[in-house]
Amino acid sequence: MNLVDIAFLLLAAAAVGTALLALLVRELVHTILWVAGFFVVLAALYFLAEATFLGVLQLGVYAGAVTILLLFGVMVTRRSIFRRDAATGIGPTSVALAALVVLLLGAVAWRFGGTGAAGVTAYAPAQLSQALFGTYGPWLLLVGLAMLAALAGAIYLVREGRE
Amino acid sequence: MIDTEVLGQFAPEILLLAGTLLLFVLDRAGALRRELFGAVALAAILGAGAIVLADLGVGFLAPLRGIGAAVVDQPVGASALYGFSSLGLLFQGIFLLAAFLVALAAVSRPSDEPGAAVFYGLLLLATLGMMLVAVAADLIFLLLALEITAIASYLLVASPRRDPRALEAAMKFYIIGALSAALSFFGASLLYGAYGTTSLRVVGHSLPAGAYGDLAIAGFGFLLAGLAFEVTLVPFHMWAVDVYDGAPTEVSAFLAGGTKKAGFFALFLVFVGPLLLVLAPGTGPAGTFRGSLDLTVALLAVATMTVGNVLALFQSEMKRLLAYSSISQAGYMLLGVAVATAPALAGATFQIFAHVLLKAGAFLVVAAAAGLGVGPLVSDWKGFGIRRPALGVAFGLFLLGLAGIPLTVGFFSKFVLFSAVVEARGWFVWLAVAGVLNSALSVFYYGRILRTMYMETPPAGSGGAGVGARSSLAWDGLGYGRAAAIGIAAVLVVALGIDPGPLLTAFQSAATHFLTFGA
Amino acid sequence: MTDAFTTAGFLALSGALLALGLFGILTRRNFILLLVSIEIAVNAAVLNFVYFAAFAPTTAEALNGQSAAIVIVALAATEIAVGLAIVLGLNRLRGSIDVTGATDLRL
Repeated sequence: MNLVDIAFLLLAAAAVGTALLALLVRELVHTILWVAGFFVVLAALYFLAEATFLGVLQLGVYAGAVTILLLFGVMVTRRSIFRRDAATGIGPTSVALAALVVLLLGAVAWRFGGTGAAGVTAYAPAQLSQALFGTYGPWLLLVGLAMLAALAGAIYLVREGRE
Repeated sequence: MIDTEVLGQFAPEILLLAGTLLLFVLDRAGALRRELFGAVALAAILGAGAIVLADLGVGFLAPLRGIGAAVVDQPVGASALYGFSSLGLLFQGIFLLAAFLVALAAVSRPSDEPGAAVFYGLLLLATLGMMLVAVAADLIFLLLALEITAIASYLLVASPRRDPRALEAAMKFYIIGALSAALSFFGASLLYGAYGTTSLRVVGHSLPAGAYGDLAIAGFGFLLAGLAFEVTLVPFHMWAVDVYDGAPTEVSAFLAGGTKKAGFFALFLVFVGPLLLVLAPGTGPAGTFRGSLDLTVALLAVATMTVGNVLALFQSEMKRLLAYSSISQAGYMLLGVAVATAPALAGATFQIFAHVLLKAGAFLVVAAAAGLGVGPLVSDWKGFGIRRPALGVAFGLFLLGLAGIPLTVGFFSKFVLFSAVVEARGWFVWLAVAGVLNSALSVFYYGRILRTMYMETPPAGSGGAGVGARSSLAWDGLGYGRAAAIGIAAVLVVALGIDPGPLLTAFQSAATHFLTFGA
Repeated sequence: MTDAFTTAGFLALSGALLALGLFGILTRRNFILLLVSIEIAVNAAVLNFVYFAAFAPTTAEALNGQSAAIVIVALAATEIAVGLAIVLGLNRLRGSIDVTGATDLRL
């Protein structure tokens, strides 16, 4: 057990804790705050794995943009943003399903035992960008097409049209 | 640098994208007629279709041959993200057929309805996503292409933006779609961990040793669950009925006839392809895994066809009944994944092709009938076949085809599929038995609709089906777009029901190639 | 358990996060909470890609995973935007974003 292990354990606990709180708190604005915290903790986990660029991206896209989008959604759709929003009861099926996933992945994780910590290498952003725009360029094109569909459709859906 | 060869290979996709962009530009140009937007979309679809058919070797289109995918059925390297198989090209043709029928019929939607350009643009983008699914050779490429289709289809469902029912359907569709995507990406992440790559040329070719093998099995499980939502397998099917019911009927036709089929091709790529075939059933962990995968998929198939059919028996609304029938048909198609031999794959592809014509055709008749003032209930169709003979005959043909009655394409597709399942021997024979029993069961509810249409008379004074609201559309209130789309589908159903020969040969040779492609 | 910063460690974490996401999607009825649940589930997949890439033996393999993580993050943000557009459209018509309005979402 060294320093990295302790850091990982603490961050993992924080990730699960913030995610759980985001789903369980009563006020929607608090949900957004907790989920923003969750995104920041994940970014820290990526820094721990030496995935610097991913960490920065996580902070920018998730902790920044997605959080603002969600907050915006809450503010536009709720007249009183601090209104209590009753959560429905915890369904037994969903708990069973969630438990099943935990058990399944837990069992797979258990099979790995203590292997895998051999060494983590940091990659320069230059290397990553060469892979992303070179070998995996088509992926980016596909994401671009998805964004085109989203942009055109979303604008049409919310604009006050000439009808 | 832009590689002209690659541009040529993707000529059909580029044509669709160009059509989309042109539509979005025209949208800003002011009030234009719906027919113009429809014509742009149809031109793009027909152009793409001509190139795909030329690549498949259809004689009279030979001059176009050089434009498209030059190399078909050639193995691609482990680093390639895409590759062209003849089965993939056939599926591209199937997707374009569905898009063509829907685009043609949608011309007859009310001309004062807003957003025609966006509707057609999204339709082309959804089709483009499906076309890319058909050439995927990489897990992430495959899932991203499916996502393009998914995002475009959420927005297609929401396209009547003043209709709360459509937006609710879109919201439900969106949640299920996002859940399905999350499960699929999670599965892909585990497979990447197990195999060290996202290439479909490596994933599934063997089962890694030790803990990584368990990881791979878990990954395949999550991926199967994610894709099961996509193709409405029981128990991941509940959303489909509400979405098909709430969406504009043309979009329901596209979802049932088009986007769902892209999910099936994704299943073929991951679970049949050249991939898991390498794992022969038998001894060892790989063989055990293959055996239990076959069994799981077979159980899903039987559950899907049975639940879909039984629930369809109890439906009183036409669109919901067709939605349940669509779920049960997914069960038949899944037999191709469970059995995973070349003939079964050809049969499943034929069944998918037949279902595009039959289900899209049936939904389009429902759209036309709604335009003529027929209500949503099955009982609103009393006397429809007598008052609107041509439309009644077309609807009758589609229903008989879905039931698998001879002289329709539905008979041959089921015959080919079930006989391939029987040929595979072993316990697979029971799958064919389940399929035949289910087909017999489905005759009950298709027959009930036919009886309502022809044998029952509407209650006096109500006016009955088809004479309520007089529509201003051409061709006796039907609209020429709808009439043409329904007519084309009906003619194909009968023509291919009499002689499916050339098509069947193409499916069989493509399926054989697919199983050896890149292995 | 001796070490936590291992394959077993992050698999357990991503499994727990996916389970939380699924649990949220199945029990919450408010659309914003559903979006949050979906994001938690997607981030479980991203976490796997990043950590498998970090422990990967070769550079090519690591870059494959990191690139996948980046495009999934981009796609997930796109999806959120679409979801919000649908919600805003519905909110304008109905004034409520409870999923249990006229229909019931059951699995």
